[in-house]
Amino acid sequence: MPRRAGHFTIWPPMKFSLAVYSAPHSAQSASSALRFAKTVLQQGHEIYRVFFYCDGVQNGNATAAPPQDEIDLTAEWQVLGQQHQLDLVICIAAAQRRGVLNQREAERLERPAANLADGFELAGLGQLTDAVANSDRLITFGS
Amino acid sequence: MTLHIVSKSPYTSSALKECLGAFASGDALLLIEDGTYVLRHPALETLQSAEIYCLEADAAARGQQQLAATMDRVEMINDARWVQLCTEHQPIVSWFR
Repeated sequence: MPRRAGHFTIWPPMKFSLAVYSAPHSAQSASSALRFAKTVLQQGHEIYRVFFYCDGVQNGNATAAPPQDEIDLTAEWQVLGQQHQLDLVICIAAAQRRGVLNQREAERLERPAANLADGFELAGLGQLTDAVANSDRLITFGS
Repeated sequence: MTLHIVSKSPYTSSALKECLGAFASGDALLLIEDGTYVLRHPALETLQSAEIYCLEADAAARGQQQLAATMDRVEMINDARWVQLCTEHQPIVSWFR
């Protein structure tokens, strides 16, 4: 079925996946990715997965505290993820070396804290391959 | 046809050069973020017949809107048109190194 998006109809709706390579504080592309994701959803398309890779794993770091006059990308992804049931996947290998850990990984690696933000999950690079295979489009937001 | 997205300045990165090396006839170019500095670069002239798009907000954030207004060949777009371009092209290749 065609989907309604505002005053116009999109046909056919597409499945998008996004690969995000940059941390919120390091490059504009992290915020470009969020804007792009919002626009994709506004137009009635589906987001199959957002895969955070390399420094992009910092988007899922719950202990980062950006200044109040800057956009908190982690919080924005959490809200968008909840509204649209997004699959927000953080590369587990990239996350370990940057200290982005869930409770299970923190215990397994004997680290003092877990800081993976709610709404994100850790998984392997296979989830990026799966996203490529199952999406109409993959858009990469570089470092 | 491929949509090439360049997001780095041609003065600090080889992204544009590498993109142009892979550019085929019928492909389109989209300039975003620091890639909007490509508007000032002479290499743009080598893409005589290609569709060229530029994210208007990113160009304006860098003081390029007046320059962009004088360039008939470049279509200034918003995020909605960006998404639409992504539906019209396959694959989408990002150049950011």
